[in-house]
Amino acid sequence: MKKLLMATVAAAAMFSAVPSMAIERGGSLTFARYDDSTLIDPIYADRNPDIWMVTNLYDTLLRTEADGKTITSGLAQSYDVAEDGQSLTLTLRDDIMFSDGTPIEGKDVVFSLTRASDPDLSPWAGLLSSIEEVSATGNQVTIKLNRPDPTIVLMLATFNTAIVSADAFEAASGETDQEKAQSLSIDGFVGSGPFMMKSHQRGTLMQFGANPHYWREGEDGEPLPYMDGINFLVIPDDATRILKLQAGEVDGAEFIPFARVAELEADENINMELFPSTRIIYSPMNTRDTRADGSDNPLADMKLRQALNYATDKNALVQLVLQGAGKPVTSGLMASTTQLATDNGPIYQYDLDKAKTLIAEAGVADGTELTLTILAGSADDAIILSALQQMWSQIGIDLKVEQVDGPTRGAKNRSGEFDIHTYGWVNDVNDPAQVAGWLGYYPTAKAVGTGWNNEEFNSLYEASNVEMDPAKRAEQYARMQEIYNEEAPLLFMYETPFAVALSDDVKGYVQTPLGNNEFASTWIDR
Amino acid sequence: MSTISYFFSRLLQIIPTFLIVMVIIFLLVRALPGDPAIAMADAKATTEQLEQIRQRLGLDQPLWIQFGIFVKNVFTGNLGDSILMKAPVTQVILERLPASGFLTLYAVLFSLLIAGPLAFVAALNRNTWLDTTIRSAFQVGLSTPVFYIGLLLLTFLAARMRWFPVGGYGTTFLEHMYHLLLPALTVALYTSAIIMRNLRSSVIEVVDAEYVQFARAKGLPERIILGRHVLRNALISTVTLLGLSIGNLMSGTLVTETVFAVPGVGRLMLDAIFARDYPLIQGLTLTFAVLVSIIFLLTDLIQAWLDPRLRVA
Repeated sequence: MKKLLMATVAAAAMFSAVPSMAIERGGSLTFARYDDSTLIDPIYADRNPDIWMVTNLYDTLLRTEADGKTITSGLAQSYDVAEDGQSLTLTLRDDIMFSDGTPIEGKDVVFSLTRASDPDLSPWAGLLSSIEEVSATGNQVTIKLNRPDPTIVLMLATFNTAIVSADAFEAASGETDQEKAQSLSIDGFVGSGPFMMKSHQRGTLMQFGANPHYWREGEDGEPLPYMDGINFLVIPDDATRILKLQAGEVDGAEFIPFARVAELEADENINMELFPSTRIIYSPMNTRDTRADGSDNPLADMKLRQALNYATDKNALVQLVLQGAGKPVTSGLMASTTQLATDNGPIYQYDLDKAKTLIAEAGVADGTELTLTILAGSADDAIILSALQQMWSQIGIDLKVEQVDGPTRGAKNRSGEFDIHTYGWVNDVNDPAQVAGWLGYYPTAKAVGTGWNNEEFNSLYEASNVEMDPAKRAEQYARMQEIYNEEAPLLFMYETPFAVALSDDVKGYVQTPLGNNEFASTWIDR
Repeated sequence: MSTISYFFSRLLQIIPTFLIVMVIIFLLVRALPGDPAIAMADAKATTEQLEQIRQRLGLDQPLWIQFGIFVKNVFTGNLGDSILMKAPVTQVILERLPASGFLTLYAVLFSLLIAGPLAFVAALNRNTWLDTTIRSAFQVGLSTPVFYIGLLLLTFLAARMRWFPVGGYGTTFLEHMYHLLLPALTVALYTSAIIMRNLRSSVIEVVDAEYVQFARAKGLPERIILGRHVLRNALISTVTLLGLSIGNLMSGTLVTETVFAVPGVGRLMLDAIFARDYPLIQGLTLTFAVLVSIIFLLTDLIQAWLDPRLRVA
């Protein structure tokens, strides 16, 4: 039986390790974003600009620390997983309140988790499919599971299980659940996170104000957040976002193109941050015996896929595309920041001789044509294409190009009408099951559309989803990564950080490896 | 035919245009590869979840049923909910339309202010150094990409000199004037080049016309000749051109709206297409169709006022 009592002790220990700095309270921050949020609600957040904002407005029962891995307490001060793994008990904190001053109680947790696990409502319900029933007595919440679920604790620290007010939701205007969520997100907002939605002019400006009833304490012993509010401006153009920061009109700008990182690092008024992320860039390869048009598919041969991986100089790609601000992947299946990721250094390091040997063994004729499908208008993809054309010509591959827009690429991925195409991924949850399911487990989405269907991998994945022994689960994941790297259904490429430029008086801003924008502990040094 | 009955006959012609636009856009948008479900959940959803999303959005229905629902909605004034914005399409469009409209009118105003006087100066000093200078300056404006001019203006006048804000839209009328000055100027540099060329050649044509020579022979002052005879007649083709380009401007402010972070419909259209947001794309196209029809109608009316011969057409 695993029992954890964390809360203030852990928090105090964490903070004491940080050299103390006189924190200044008050003021508001203006932050330039690449895209606007549409509906910030735990279950309807399905695009990154929404997902990454949820935890500012709604708090979760458990939380992860800044490393994105360690679980700590949230609205629940402790949790306890039953020995048989069939249930979970959480104890809520005393005196926690929503932003309207009403108490956060068991019924709100029951309401929120039931809503989050309802497949008719939430696109994320699949991540909570083990939940059978949620009930509450006093400040004790019991979650009954239909099977042991090693991911459930992490899921309670994830945006989609954040707590909304049952009463406020019920009282919100609108017929459907989504209409209620929409109206709650604007008029008379009630939330449980460090901030509250104050106003939202779609496409232009979104304003958050501090939640006066938030429970978590800052370094000065007073409740968070430090700032009075945040103004989010939507500035879709990269160059304009940077100019806005340089002109002093905003205090921060996200999604800085990597080509501009060095320039901003040299600017003494700007603090250029590269936050480690779970974002990986890779290219799925079609592993089916025949292509969609019925012709023979040379990529069905694992040796050709391995040869292409060896013939690709990832360090050169990192230099060319990211100006060095990234690194070649160390696991084919997930970013190194993900839990249970294997890291024995970069995989498939550039080795032209090995590539030539493998391609000869595969019996692939010189001048064989392959097509790379890239995003039209993407500067990164254009660089990748010309680099791969040169690198692969060394092993006799004639790389053709096909340019499409995002949804077309998505449709091709689903239908298998491609040879190789560029793609990327950021984890939404802390557990590796999401990314491993997407990239490798055939029933989820045909192993990211590659058609790769490996029995051993699939059964390991299924077993790992009910394995409650962390050591055994880690072994299963190690083996899955071994198989995946060996079989190479992807062209393994690189990991990229989140590049955020801040005015140098902004302190304590964090973008987590999952991408969440954390403003609760941000303060302005005036 | 009186002006009023002319107006109504032109108004009636809009209806078939509208119907054709509705059918075309409905079919075209569905002919694009990929659907809203794919765009929405691109790298996230399982095959099963994609089916659920399609069911929820009614995409699993046969095409003719989907079209029936669309037509019924349009005639009841309901354009449905935007998939991307998770809000009613009409609301989303009405939120974004003012910024684009403001920018377009502002840009047209600038274009006329820049192109009008210079076209006259160039035409009346035909083939002199003055004419050549004006024409080559506009040639530069015409051949430089809009986003580049926009970024130059932003970098120097906004970020460096701090005379203007770096993009945005503001909240009050005066703030809109201030925020949109650079984007309007950017667009105007391009359109004014086209208007200038057209107006210059019309003026040259008219100045040589017999009725102008007759007016001059009558001994009318040059001021009246230019104002009453030359300007009015030279403007006819320019009004047509302007009408056509407003239609283009309205949908073509996309680049300017992106560079200057103006929350307009141009950008919204691009986002809608990338999200395969069928209801929003349909709503925007209908809006554009209505606006362009109205502008063409106004163009015709102004032309008819300038040139009475056109009223019988």
